Amino acid sequence: MSESGFTVFLVDDDAAVLRALKRLLAAEGYEAVCFASPQAFLADHDSSVPGCAIVDLAMPELDGLALQDALTKDDASRPIIFLSGNGDIPTSVRAMKAGAIDFLTKPVQRETLLDAIVRAQEQDAAARRWRLEMQAINDRLEQLTPREREVLAYVVAGRLNKQIAADLGTVEKTIKVHRGRMMSKLGVRTVADLVRMAERAGIAPVLSVQHEA
Amino acid sequence: MKADVPRPRLHERLGHLVDAARMPVLVAISYWLGAKAAFLVGTLSDQIFAPFWPPNIVLLCALLLVPTRRWWLCILAAFPAHAVAELEIGMDAPQLLVAFATNCMVALLNAFGVRKILGQPPWFDTLNKAALYVLITAVASPALSALGGAFVPILGGGAINDYWLHWLQWFASNALGSVTLGPILLIWLSEYRWRLGRAPIWSNVEGLLLGLVLLFFCMFAFELATRALGRGLVPALLYLPLPLVLWAALRFGVKGASSAVMIVTVVLIWRALNGPSLFSAEDPETNVFGMQAFLLGLAIPILLLGAAIEETRTAEQAVRESEDRMAFAAASANVCLWHFNRKTDRVWMTAHGRRMFGFGTGETITRSAVVKAIHPDDRDAAIAALRSAAIAGQLADNEFRIVRRNGEVRWIRARARTHSNDHGEQTFVSGTFADVTDRRAIEQEAASQRRELAHLTRVAMLGELSAGIAHELTQPLTAILSNAQAARLILADSAPDLGEITEMIEDIISEDNRAGEVIHRLRGLMKKGEPQYEPVDLNEVVHSTLRLLHSELIGRRAKIRTDLATELPLASGDAVQLQQVLLNLMMNALEAMTDVAPSGRIVLISTRATGNGYIEVSVADHGVGFASLRQPYLAQPFFTTKEGGLGLGLSICSSILKSHGGKLDLVNNPNGGATARFRLPEHQVVTGEVS
Repeated sequence: MSESGFTVFLVDDDAAVLRALKRLLAAEGYEAVCFASPQAFLADHDSSVPGCAIVDLAMPELDGLALQDALTKDDASRPIIFLSGNGDIPTSVRAMKAGAIDFLTKPVQRETLLDAIVRAQEQDAAARRWRLEMQAINDRLEQLTPREREVLAYVVAGRLNKQIAADLGTVEKTIKVHRGRMMSKLGVRTVADLVRMAERAGIAPVLSVQHEA
Repeated sequence: MKADVPRPRLHERLGHLVDAARMPVLVAISYWLGAKAAFLVGTLSDQIFAPFWPPNIVLLCALLLVPTRRWWLCILAAFPAHAVAELEIGMDAPQLLVAFATNCMVALLNAFGVRKILGQPPWFDTLNKAALYVLITAVASPALSALGGAFVPILGGGAINDYWLHWLQWFASNALGSVTLGPILLIWLSEYRWRLGRAPIWSNVEGLLLGLVLLFFCMFAFELATRALGRGLVPALLYLPLPLVLWAALRFGVKGASSAVMIVTVVLIWRALNGPSLFSAEDPETNVFGMQAFLLGLAIPILLLGAAIEETRTAEQAVRESEDRMAFAAASANVCLWHFNRKTDRVWMTAHGRRMFGFGTGETITRSAVVKAIHPDDRDAAIAALRSAAIAGQLADNEFRIVRRNGEVRWIRARARTHSNDHGEQTFVSGTFADVTDRRAIEQEAASQRRELAHLTRVAMLGELSAGIAHELTQPLTAILSNAQAARLILADSAPDLGEITEMIEDIISEDNRAGEVIHRLRGLMKKGEPQYEPVDLNEVVHSTLRLLHSELIGRRAKIRTDLATELPLASGDAVQLQQVLLNLMMNALEAMTDVAPSGRIVLISTRATGNGYIEVSVADHGVGFASLRQPYLAQPFFTTKEGGLGLGLSICSSILKSHGGKLDLVNNPNGGATARFRLPEHQVVTGEVS
């Protein structure tokens, strides 16, 4: 499966554990990269490489949770699987809330670990797909003029051209032109498609405008 | 205001009068009886000179019984008795008066001398007092009074040329009374008046029998002497009663001596004056004087002997009582006294000691019997301790076990001194044995409780460390499992890489050993049992403790720095207990730094040799330090500043170090944090002789 380009980053202060996990993952067909400390991992981190991190919770200097914080801060959504000698509940809850794939206790069974890696791989793939889509939508939205963006917000709110013209203080015909140009720039044919896209891009619909007296 | 004194009634006044009259009447009657007795025993009707004159002794006794201010009354009371007695034998007035005057003089001098010099009774309990009594009453005062008394026979028609003979007779007569009847009456009266003694001698059957035997023996001896007159055997026969007299002196002291002499005197005088004289002088005066000289020569040494015996007996009694008291006090303290004579190989010990060792009451104890009683394991050490102390001239102090004959084992503390004789030979050893079994049992109980407590706190500490220790075990287990699973996958391949599999197996083995080591260390700390004192490398203890704490340190985000001396000498002790101490001190250091920022959580552990036979280990932290006021209580049991702490940690560390001959010090660092420092003595290398 290495041809899929998925890498497992192993972070543990114990060299023997690192070596053993790497061997197991290699035998399972994963490409694994070892780091003896969280700092070394962070220094070398490239979020564009698809993969997941398997992190030991208890390490000197910087522990697993701190590493998770650092990764989240970078906005690099790297899926993390935690390994711990003794999984206490508060720590595991905190890790899971922060988006960890799983919280596994050592010694970890091969099946459990592989299952978690598969889930991480799926999540990573989904996240990457989603990021690509978002990238495409954003690219198109950026082609719109400010007026067209304005019209977009009114359209997704379900306003008619006439109403929009009244709100914006112009004529219906002008709105029609903006709307047609906006739809073609975004590459959508129906209003339903437009609404779905706007929703993904997080554009809020505008229902009415308060006129100033 | 003056209180009304009721006027005494008539019968009360009569009562006082009777009381007042009793003494003079008694004196008068006794005096008269004494005089009659003297005449009966020793004065022939035509002879007015008594060789032995009891009235003077009666008067002396009366004077000694009453206060000095009432002496005049005694004298006054004695006069009529004297007059009646002397008139009965036909003495004329001048003679009677001079005789009375000298009689009074001798009695007064005697009484004055005794009261001034000897004081209060008892008067005959020491040789000194008896000798003074003889000097006063049998030498000085009769000699003085006799100067007047000698005139009595001259007034009765005697020749003035015989003055010194009369003086001598008068003197001897009074002296004889003083050393025979005097002591008997004085002792009897003092015992009666001042309640000094025990039962009177006459109630003693032995005394009575002895008296009777002596009486008959004297009569028999003097009868023999009478029959042997002129054959030169008289002096020898006169001394026949001597053994019985000595017996009386030995058995009954002064009382016995005086009584025996009294019997001899009475029989001899009676015998001499009522039969052929035993003393072969021509005139009766010289005859009487010879007899008096013999009796005085007998009486004075016997009286002194009696006093000496009494004194010795009293001294012996005092020593015995003192010994009794000491033995009793010693036995009360569970201590026995003993004494060993090297020359005779005999051991004396108090009854308590015999019971302590299980020796019989009359059993002869030798050195080897005592040595044999010592427990075989302790025997050599005990003997060596005693011997070395003896050589150094010091007090030996040693504890050992003894095995009683019934198999019971007791702990004994022995203290002994060696005494040298005049030639510098160490002939005697004396000392004490104290049964310290109870104390030993308490000590052992306390030691076992301390051990138990140390073990419990150790286990409790391991409980606190359980998360870290679990991590120490899961790491190798994780590595082992993953390696094994990887190997299985590789082996399933058609062409497995055997080199890689070998590497995995090597890792599995080394990781398994690593887990085994953790368990071994844990087992050591969990183990319960007697401490094993062995040479210990404290640096190794530090390393081993750090390995155990590895995960705990990570969890607490604390760093350890070590400054361990190279070529550190070995200490002597129990490695597990010492590790417990170090573990405890390090846990304390970590606890103290909980509120410190992670970058500042540093513990410095250092070891060094102090250069004077000690090894010092210190654990310095950068925590909150000790509140200085509480310093004295820090190592006290149940003192804690930790929430949920038992307060036993430092107390147990302290007691462990103490049992190793070491010491724990807790100080605050000048720039924050605290240092716990302990020192242990270096292991003493026993150099074996190489042959």
